[in-house]
Amino acid sequence: MIKLSVYARAILASAEMSFRETMTDGFVVFGIFVQPLIIAILGLWMLRDRGGDYAIFVVVGSGLTGLWSSLLFISGNSITHERWTGTLETLVGVPTPLGVIVFGKNLANVLQSMGSMAVSYLLASLLFGYPLTVAEPLLFGISLILTVIAFVSFGLVIAPIFVMNPDVQRWQNGLEFPVYILAGFLFPIALLPGWTTPISYLLAPYWAAQALHLTSSGGGTQTQILVSWGMLLFFSMIYIFVSRVLFRVMLRKARIEATLGLE
Amino acid sequence: MRSLALNVRLFFQGALLSYVALFRWLRPATYLASKVLMPLSQILFFSFLGMYATGQANASFYVIGNAIQLAAVSGIFGVTMSIGGDRWEGTLPYLFGTPANRMAMFVGRAFFHVLDGMVGVVLALMWGVLLLGLDLSHANPAALGLTILVATFSTSGMGLLLGCLSLITLNVMFINNTVYFSLLVFSGANLPLSTLPSWMQTVSQALPLTRTIAAARQIIAGASLAEVAPLLRAEVLIGVVYILLGYFLFRWFERQAKRRGTLDIF
Repeated sequence: MIKLSVYARAILASAEMSFRETMTDGFVVFGIFVQPLIIAILGLWMLRDRGGDYAIFVVVGSGLTGLWSSLLFISGNSITHERWTGTLETLVGVPTPLGVIVFGKNLANVLQSMGSMAVSYLLASLLFGYPLTVAEPLLFGISLILTVIAFVSFGLVIAPIFVMNPDVQRWQNGLEFPVYILAGFLFPIALLPGWTTPISYLLAPYWAAQALHLTSSGGGTQTQILVSWGMLLFFSMIYIFVSRVLFRVMLRKARIEATLGLE
Repeated sequence: MRSLALNVRLFFQGALLSYVALFRWLRPATYLASKVLMPLSQILFFSFLGMYATGQANASFYVIGNAIQLAAVSGIFGVTMSIGGDRWEGTLPYLFGTPANRMAMFVGRAFFHVLDGMVGVVLALMWGVLLLGLDLSHANPAALGLTILVATFSTSGMGLLLGCLSLITLNVMFINNTVYFSLLVFSGANLPLSTLPSWMQTVSQALPLTRTIAAARQIIAGASLAEVAPLLRAEVLIGVVYILLGYFLFRWFERQAKRRGTLDIF
């Protein structure tokens, strides 16, 4: 119990530190606010003939693009960033597991990325004048919480992968739009060739988009929403399990090769 | 005559070295991710979004618009990083210490990115043909090639101007990314310009790509080079204006930095 409260304190401290650090970074501000805003403008404009009901779909979808981009570029670099600033050795040396600290960093990142959705909402509502209503506010709230958990957990998997495999990290730039497409953030995946559907089902962002779109736009059955929630929880558990293994392998490899602070 | 030969050598050596330096650290995997996977997925994303909005019959509108817009990957990101790289890597004081012709040195930074950008746009159009049924059978290849060259030239002009900003600010990637994504809206890549408010149309006219995207759409629909020549001439002029603005900013930065002793101080 004491251990849990210590971890909770470490998560909060790490989240606060990360929040203070990243909110002044131009790249982060771009990823969280500017890029989703431009995508929302494009989406609202391109899809305007589909009527006002479509606005909430664009708001949620463009917000998700911001969530994914910041997860990929900020959470993905959460360990590498400590390496660049020379603080990784200290963090590994403290009694709190590195995974707990990175969890706090990812939590701050995902929560601040929610700003993407808020910005898109304000844009659609104030600038375009769409009357925006969330069809199922309570269910939407639950979907949002499950999305945060899934994205934070996903961040715990990609960060050590990027550290251990610089070649994978070099594909970072190219991984942004494919997930926008495969997860159906702004258009249904039914438009894509059938062979891509199983890939979509393996992505937590797809289930997050499903849950958030179904509960915000309405029209989804209870079973569909429950399946999306179940898949988000399922993937979160898998990610956390996998991340524990990855963190262990990463730290062991770094200690054996004495490359903790080296790229 | 000797001075001309020296400047030509400086132009090509500087161009090659800055390009090689950029991609030595980026490595092939990064190059492939940035120049193959990212462009492909960007075209697919906006084309599918467009097709979802207006129907599959309009696929070519989005494919052409986004393929030409990809000239900005090399033009804006590549050129800016080549200019800013001298400051980040600490070679700027040496460059400013030489008597080399500044114009040749400055414009040379963009040379290979113009060629590289053309390859990127051609690849993007090929993706459009292979995956989204883009029909190039009515296009005049020479006219289309010239249009692509003009598009990469004008975006590189803008890149040279933005590259100078990397000499005076640390947040140049914020500016670059914002300009790159704004071009998706203002250039007409994804929206017919006539549907934009008049102030946005005015901004569009001052930006690179607006005219080359329109020209490429016309050429692919069967128009001749003579029909699109006025658009291309105007876009070349825009590119030249951006280069000159960038050059004056570059010289101003050099004078200020030397006067204040802030050449490599961030």
